[in-house]
Amino acid sequence: MIRVRDLQVSYGDSVVAHIPELDLAAGQVLGIAGESGSGKSQTALALMGLTRYAGGSVTGSVQLGGVELSTLTNKQWRAVRGRRMAMILQSPRASLNPTITLGALFGRTLKLHGVPRAERQARMEQALVEVVLDPQILSRYPHEVSGGQAQRFAIALVAALRVDVLIADEPTSALDVTVQSEVIDVLRGLRERHGTAIVFISHDLAVIGELADQVMVMRRGEVVEQGPTSQILHEPAQQYTRELLLAVPVIGRTR
Amino acid sequence: MSDLLLVQGLRLSYGEREVVHGVDLRVPAGPYGLGIIGESGSGKTTIARALLKLHPAGSGSVTFDGADVLALKGSALSAYRRDVQLVFQDGDGALDPRMSVLSSVSEPLAIHDTVPKAQRRERVAALLDEVGLPIDIMTRYPHQLSGGQRQRVVIARALALEPRLLVLDEPTSALDVTVQERVLQLVEGLRERRQLAYVLISHNLAVVDRLCESSVVLYEGAVMESGPTRDLLDSPVHPYTRALRSAVPEIGVHRPALTRITAGASVPSTGCPYSERCPLVLDICRAQTPALRDVGGRQVACHRADDVANLLA
Amino acid sequence: MSRQTPDLLPAADLAGEPRRRLSRIWPGWGSAKRVPLLIIGSVLGALVVLAGLLAPWITPYPQDAGAVVHPAQTLLAPSAAHWFGTDMVGRDIFTRVIFGARVSLGIVVLVLVVSAVVGLTVGLAAGFFGGWLDSVLMRVTDVFLAFPALLLSVALAAVLSPSALHAAMAIAFTWWPWYARLARGQAASIRRQGYSDAARVLGASRTRQLVRHVLPNAATPVFVQMSLDAAGIILTAATLSYLGLGAQDPTPEWGLMVAQGQPLATTAWWVITFPGFAILLTAVAFNFVGDGLQTVFDPKRGLR
Repeated sequence: MIRVRDLQVSYGDSVVAHIPELDLAAGQVLGIAGESGSGKSQTALALMGLTRYAGGSVTGSVQLGGVELSTLTNKQWRAVRGRRMAMILQSPRASLNPTITLGALFGRTLKLHGVPRAERQARMEQALVEVVLDPQILSRYPHEVSGGQAQRFAIALVAALRVDVLIADEPTSALDVTVQSEVIDVLRGLRERHGTAIVFISHDLAVIGELADQVMVMRRGEVVEQGPTSQILHEPAQQYTRELLLAVPVIGRTR
Repeated sequence: MSDLLLVQGLRLSYGEREVVHGVDLRVPAGPYGLGIIGESGSGKTTIARALLKLHPAGSGSVTFDGADVLALKGSALSAYRRDVQLVFQDGDGALDPRMSVLSSVSEPLAIHDTVPKAQRRERVAALLDEVGLPIDIMTRYPHQLSGGQRQRVVIARALALEPRLLVLDEPTSALDVTVQERVLQLVEGLRERRQLAYVLISHNLAVVDRLCESSVVLYEGAVMESGPTRDLLDSPVHPYTRALRSAVPEIGVHRPALTRITAGASVPSTGCPYSERCPLVLDICRAQTPALRDVGGRQVACHRADDVANLLA
Repeated sequence: MSRQTPDLLPAADLAGEPRRRLSRIWPGWGSAKRVPLLIIGSVLGALVVLAGLLAPWITPYPQDAGAVVHPAQTLLAPSAAHWFGTDMVGRDIFTRVIFGARVSLGIVVLVLVVSAVVGLTVGLAAGFFGGWLDSVLMRVTDVFLAFPALLLSVALAAVLSPSALHAAMAIAFTWWPWYARLARGQAASIRRQGYSDAARVLGASRTRQLVRHVLPNAATPVFVQMSLDAAGIILTAATLSYLGLGAQDPTPEWGLMVAQGQPLATTAWWVITFPGFAILLTAVAFNFVGDGLQTVFDPKRGLR
């Protein structure tokens, strides 16, 4: 579904992320782990074609279902974002328009991305069931819902748009632990029901382990290690990966 | 052993809305850690602010070393300010952007005049060294520091007055896991070296597990369960504690969410505050607020505590 | 994101010794040199200030700044002897324009100092203490803000006898409420910052909180606003003089000189042009400085 070769993101003279090789099939989840400044969020921006809006530039190749994305115009990109690829962020409430209800937002988004009027209601309802949100939430404004509900609403939007690839940048980092596990369950459902490929970005390898099929560990813009989740988590080849794993707080370790 | 800090029946409000509904806390003299476990909206930060007298108490009592904290004034309050310090969640906001590290860390020394002016720089250097920061960081400003460094500066400032009790409000939740680990090691070291007692507020059970002898689990301003941290985490009784426990991501272990995902954000106006999300909810839970009672060596506020305890046994 | 990734910043940026000494006084120094407008504005502004200070020594006919009349040389066009020409009573316009810098800058400084002191005091008290004091002070401020500033200045200046000093007082009277509003908002937001809580927890007295934390953090935007306002004050003072409510002849005030030259605009263009140009140049210089400071004085943007 996604095929990346020699992707390089730079701002001026400094290279902030470099991905030599990356392949992600439909229904697969790739976890990108790393600390602040590791380039993981910059990779997400590059995959979404948003680097240029942040003032940077990208070289190398990114393909989505065989179509080269790096040569698309801004207009062509708009047809990709929201229809084939979508992104959710750490604080969903901040990215929801505060002046309209969630229902209005949902309707507009579906309309914008060409979902026929007749289909919209059914898609909305089905998506809300998938993320376990009561339809009454559609009459609320973004500030009237909790962080976990807002994140699930964002995932419902993604489900209704039926995109092929979801980029989730630290989607649970701002959430409480119980809510975090709910959101992860919802993401897992999205992948199973729709075969959505997910790029899941987090600084916490344990959270990534809950969901990902393969893991890429980044540090200072470079890929440190890449491979199947079980291999990375249980037989890490690199010292840095081991450090990241050891840093995950574990109940009962010090007793 | 007499208690350093004793909180009884503390109620706190924002305007008309009560957010903490009668909480008891007990911290013996250090080294000792009390954990307050709670998620957003649990009232844990309000409790921290009330302990530091940044938020007015509604009712209840707070006693520190035998003195009634809520009534402190003048020089007694000034002494309390030396004995009890706060480490904030957000090291960025906690430091004045226009003050260098030296000015920030020496400010408490200047306020209480505990160290002569000529020796303050030296004292700051010793504090920075104690929290594992290089001395030359003194001339820097907050925006020139990393998140972990800022949090260490905040800790150094809190230690400057040699407090007997630290209140740590989510000290690592804004940090990357690797940085968090190093800050936790720092707190562990300080605890033994300085015989510190502290109240650690966190939503992260693993953090509390590591640093606290006993813990209180808070939900919507009410205590759900309290007791020795080890018992709480090894065999949680309250359904909310169980949900929290199972939600901690662990490498190689997958557990499904134990809460019922709710569509509304509402907290029920009657009955158990957790009833809306509880998978074991009964009619009585919605009708009647459960009181804290002794269950197997700890305090639990749940109508079904005995059922769960029996299931465990 | 850059805020959380200081490890990506070049270490050399923090290493230089001179940089460190300067940034102790002013954290934004590092980027001042990267704001060209600020440099241009500062140089122009410095030239105006210098011209004003050195006026008696750099002008060819210093006595022309006062009440003299040269009937034989009225309205001479610019020449080697009179670079900017002469006015209707024969005074050297170059001399009067240079001396005019003193008057205009004096008015600016007076207005800014008075309004900043009053505005900051009122605003900080309202924002820091809150409650009823806040309500009372801000209602008073709102009353002042309810009138158009220029109209209020004009009315006030009309009541007082016309002079440069009275014009400055009239302007200051309408100017401070803006600073009070600004400072109040800043103080109220600083009060909610973690470092304000930290100061309280550390046992800092209210005076210390105000002086050490609230004032320095609230004052910066006010200072920036002040440098942006300097141009406006020059123009307002010129307007008052132009209307006959400010400085009076023989004071070499630019606005007054423009007013006096207006009837002659078509026959003796130099009488109106050079003082007008002085107003423009000074206003632009202060605006550049204000804009530049706005960029540099933000401690977070400062390092980028």
